[in-house]
Amino acid sequence: MAVQDATSEVLVDTLERSLRNRRIAKHVGIFLTLTLLWELGSRMGWLDPLFYPRPSNIIRSFWLIYFQNANVWFHLYSTISLVIIGWVLGSMLGIGLGALVGFNTVIRRFLKPYVIVLEATPRIAVAPLLIAALGFGVNSKLAIIMLVCFFAPFINTLSGVINVNEERLELFRSMRASKTQILRKLVLPDAIPVIMAGERLALTAALSGALVAEFIQRDKGIGSLILVYTRNLNMASAFACIFTLTIIGFLIFKGMEKLDHYIAYWKYEGGRERMSAKRKRTMVEP
Amino acid sequence: MKMFKVTMLSTAVAFAALPSVSFAQDTVISVIKPTPRSAVFFPLVVGEALGYFEDEGITVNLLPSDTSIPYVAFIQNGQADLAMLDPNETINAINAGANINTVYEVMQNAPEGIAVLAGGEYTSMDDLVGTTVGLVSDRDRAFLQAALDITGHSIDDVQTVVLGESGPTLAAAIRDGNVSAISGSVFDWAALVANGIEIDTVTPEELLASPANTLAMNADMIEEKREAMEGFFRAWSKGMHVGATNPDAVEAMLRAAVPEEWEVEAAGMGLFQGVLPMNISTTERMGDLQADVWTSVQPRMLSSGAIKNVVDVSTFLNDTYIDAANDFDKAQVEAAAAAWLEAN
Repeated sequence: MAVQDATSEVLVDTLERSLRNRRIAKHVGIFLTLTLLWELGSRMGWLDPLFYPRPSNIIRSFWLIYFQNANVWFHLYSTISLVIIGWVLGSMLGIGLGALVGFNTVIRRFLKPYVIVLEATPRIAVAPLLIAALGFGVNSKLAIIMLVCFFAPFINTLSGVINVNEERLELFRSMRASKTQILRKLVLPDAIPVIMAGERLALTAALSGALVAEFIQRDKGIGSLILVYTRNLNMASAFACIFTLTIIGFLIFKGMEKLDHYIAYWKYEGGRERMSAKRKRTMVEP
Repeated sequence: MKMFKVTMLSTAVAFAALPSVSFAQDTVISVIKPTPRSAVFFPLVVGEALGYFEDEGITVNLLPSDTSIPYVAFIQNGQADLAMLDPNETINAINAGANINTVYEVMQNAPEGIAVLAGGEYTSMDDLVGTTVGLVSDRDRAFLQAALDITGHSIDDVQTVVLGESGPTLAAAIRDGNVSAISGSVFDWAALVANGIEIDTVTPEELLASPANTLAMNADMIEEKREAMEGFFRAWSKGMHVGATNPDAVEAMLRAAVPEEWEVEAAGMGLFQGVLPMNISTTERMGDLQADVWTSVQPRMLSSGAIKNVVDVSTFLNDTYIDAANDFDKAQVEAAAAAWLEAN
């Protein structure tokens, strides 16, 4: 019986792997076909080279900016560090304020109208004013990013906190749980999946915020490099920078997905088992 | 607790990744201007490559920005020590009560111009009447106003549209006939020409002799910042002198400092050749202030509506740093540039 189970498990694994490989092959095939069509269209003059540089030139530009001239690294470092710091600070503010407003009805009543007004204000339009107020440099750039990525964690934390399961809350209260215990054992575990969803949105927004800041303050960063390239009509390198941002955005998304799987593990299939196995291993190992 | 530790750790890591901050003892001069380090203002790049700013104990903090807030505001609130302004911006700021002095002329010939498609239907300013003219930025409106005024027209005789600095937008607009002409600068044309879009300029001759991209500062800080400013302008003038005497060295320095402008050889070379003469003073003293030119351009600006009142130039032109800016051994600078070129 055990041998039969093991065999069917292996079969399922092989089938799943084969399906996954086939799916990846299909994606790669579509991507390569589109790229080849683009290259062909550019070479035949069907596509305007002012807007659509040849993919082969874009690949050459990747080589130029990453290895031959290696000028992209400095800008990449600047953009990524800004995104991470801005996101961490914006999230801390968003989660902190969201929790505060969620727990305290008086604060909620007074703060809510301001938050709604601020949420309705196009944050990008405020960017030049922030630079004028806070000055040039890292501070104003961080402020723009924080402003852009503050709302998702704030709203999600607030919603997670105020939508706590009433019956379970009653149960905790009936068992005379302290406020800290309610927060740690009930509210936070309930809210974390929603907060994590907000964090995912915030991190993606942080990248856009950084770009806006760099478009206004052109000292460094991928945004300012894109402006230099487009001004010089070097569209292949501009596209290389844009694709770099696409890759960063994708990695951010995947990274947040992993983090979400790790932090809010109970939300996912097999998450509890995986975590308990891990804990068991830690307990057994000296 | 574990969650708290993770948060603290990630915050610490994030702070560790903060872009490096300079704690050098040098005096920092903050300059707000439209572009980052570029061939467009090569004396800065040359001065840095040859260590002239460092020798003067100065760190240049560039504030390249496309903000919609006037640059003068950044001088007034102390965020910038120097602002790069065009004549009409300077006069308008003075008229608005800004306490600023123009202390150095970076360019003494206007890099601005009105460009049309070569061999196209528009061959003079008169042809532009009734058409749509593209502006690279809102700052180019005043130049177009003056050009139209000289040729007996007004800004109301044309429609204007701000196209922005993006090369593809400018190129497509003029190539496809969406605009009859573009009011911009030599920096904007270089990329178009390098990409096979031939252009002609229809700029009235009278507008070519005009200060451009002049550096202005808070008048109250003239004495307080004298030492640093003199050093800054001396280093800038040295860079300008290298441009006049050894363009090959300048080209090599630019290729090293701003490789992104040289990835397309024709565009890089076109830009360099366009900006080289623009950055070299025509006056005897480098960066000198041409009071007569400032006086002569104002009535034109007034009649075109670019400024509200004519201003007495003695109230804002201040050449107090110019002698010090020219006080250096030219032979030594030439030798240093030649040595740099040989070593690199």
